[in-house]
Amino acid sequence: MSGPQHPADGTPGEVDLDEFRGSDVERQTEIATELDGVTILHRRERFPVPGTKAERRAERAVAACFVMAFLGALAFTVFYIVLPWQYDISNKDYVWFTPVMGVTMAISLFGFGVGAVLWAKLLITEEETVQERHSGRSTAANRETTTAILADGIGMTGIARRSLLQRALGLSGLALGALAIVPLGGLIKKPKGELFRTGWSQGVRLMTADRRLIRPGDLEAGSIATVFPATPDGLTTQVVADSVVLLVRLRPGQTVRARAGQADFGWEDYLAYSKICTHAGCPASLYEQQTGRLLCPCHQSQFDLLQDAKPVFGPAARPLPKLAITVDDEGYFVAKKDFDEPIGPSFWERP
Amino acid sequence: MTDRPSTKKGRRPRSRMRRRVTGALALALALGSVGVAYATVAAAATPHSQSAAAAAGAPADDPVEIRKGKQLFEVTCITCHGQNLQGVLNKGPSLIGTGSAAVYFQVSTGRMPVAAQSAQIQEKKPAFNEAETLQIAAYVQSIGGGPEVPTGDLRGTDANLAEGGELFRLNCASCHNFAGRGGALSAGKYAPSLTNASDKVFWTAMLSGPQNMPVFSDNQLTTDQKQAITNYVQTLKTEGDPGGSGIGRLGPVPEGLVIWILGIGAIMLMILWIGAKS
Repeated sequence: MSGPQHPADGTPGEVDLDEFRGSDVERQTEIATELDGVTILHRRERFPVPGTKAERRAERAVAACFVMAFLGALAFTVFYIVLPWQYDISNKDYVWFTPVMGVTMAISLFGFGVGAVLWAKLLITEEETVQERHSGRSTAANRETTTAILADGIGMTGIARRSLLQRALGLSGLALGALAIVPLGGLIKKPKGELFRTGWSQGVRLMTADRRLIRPGDLEAGSIATVFPATPDGLTTQVVADSVVLLVRLRPGQTVRARAGQADFGWEDYLAYSKICTHAGCPASLYEQQTGRLLCPCHQSQFDLLQDAKPVFGPAARPLPKLAITVDDEGYFVAKKDFDEPIGPSFWERP
Repeated sequence: MTDRPSTKKGRRPRSRMRRRVTGALALALALGSVGVAYATVAAAATPHSQSAAAAAGAPADDPVEIRKGKQLFEVTCITCHGQNLQGVLNKGPSLIGTGSAAVYFQVSTGRMPVAAQSAQIQEKKPAFNEAETLQIAAYVQSIGGGPEVPTGDLRGTDANLAEGGELFRLNCASCHNFAGRGGALSAGKYAPSLTNASDKVFWTAMLSGPQNMPVFSDNQLTTDQKQAITNYVQTLKTEGDPGGSGIGRLGPVPEGLVIWILGIGAIMLMILWIGAKS
């Protein structure tokens, strides 16, 4: 430890350049590390005698890793060009594309990484170093001089006594802030009636996804059908998103204890409920025909259709809205009116 | 066990440890061979080949078939479903009107005869072969009528695959998972996996609505649509997995598990290796 003394407060020590230039490489390294407060405790060559068999073997191992990286990358390129990747129903070879890409790339990157680590472990000189600890704070002199320079800079602008410029600057700052916020204003729209209306209204018929109208004979006891309003735009996303309904036909012997005011919403043993879960808006359509329970797959809410879709388990707090249905004079199911309550999850303005 | 000293005394008395080990090995060998022999004999004794009548598609209203079905019914099913298929209180439901489709589904998948009442009747090795199943089905059909076991083309052409996918996702995927791997329902019930279901099992399930599955009659899903769904699911099963492995085809949960345990585990091992003193 005859190098430059390294101050404890983290400022670099002094270097005698003439001494540095006149030293050999080892001493130069020592001086340079001492500057940062680093001391080399000891160094050991991995192979003190150069050119031994063991050294050559280590070199070959590292080289083999890099060759493996090369071959992996090469294989990646070749297979990327050669292998079929598009879906083909009659030839399943395309399923190999992704795994082969992954494996070849992994071989390449792995070879490169292992090669680098092996190089460090087998060939690079082993050394142990110690670095002095020091507090991270700058010296008192440093801190106070910097503060003085900053204060002087602000004083030169004269902002403290030029109140007109203060105001002008504040005004431009406000306008710049508004520039970032105002465009967001266009995204904020207060919904008017959309949350309370759906695609159903009096006389709208029920149809399936393939536009077939539904008669009472179409469903067996204990079956369900996903139905949509039979309007020209009944299958557009905009309408489906809030008008999708699950039509259920109960099994013989199952009776519904209707909620207040909904006793005549069903038709014989048919019921129709909004399919959109009142918790988070997932499609609740896992129907257990023997228990009459409707499950929602997202958060395990359960609605008991025999209690008029009352939630009996899970996070949903409201029963599913019920669609009033009847049969028109041509024998097709129609809605009597829109839902009495908003469908889907709760929202702020909901009564 | 090979440390016999080369004394002129000949064989030493065997140690207790050694006696125990050889005894255990002999017992295991004996049990194993008896088990193998029994399995072969048992398999040979119950041939599961389809009878000629079933293979030729004997008419479901053939009186001989019905008579045979009645005999099988009276041996196997009568305890829970009653003498006249009227059902037995707290044991089994009435079968009047369930039709041959329901019988085919329940018996051919081994759900009936049922081993024990539970939240859900389990699938197991069927007790009857195809011909016997159809005979029981014919008998039940002759008593009460109902949806029948479908015959003819159950899949249609591959032109219907996309439609089948649409219909599957709309009507089936909510319970049976988007790849047909099944899923949970309430109170211990579940929608079973579709991986080892045959075309006939699909159709009879849709027609009869077994256990908690809703019914999908021909008025609701036309025969063309049922063909499309069946074709889609059966094609889906034979599809390869573009990722190399489907990991159960259950989606992000098992995939995440694999990444976290295998992937991160491998990375941790590499980190330990890099940091190890050489």
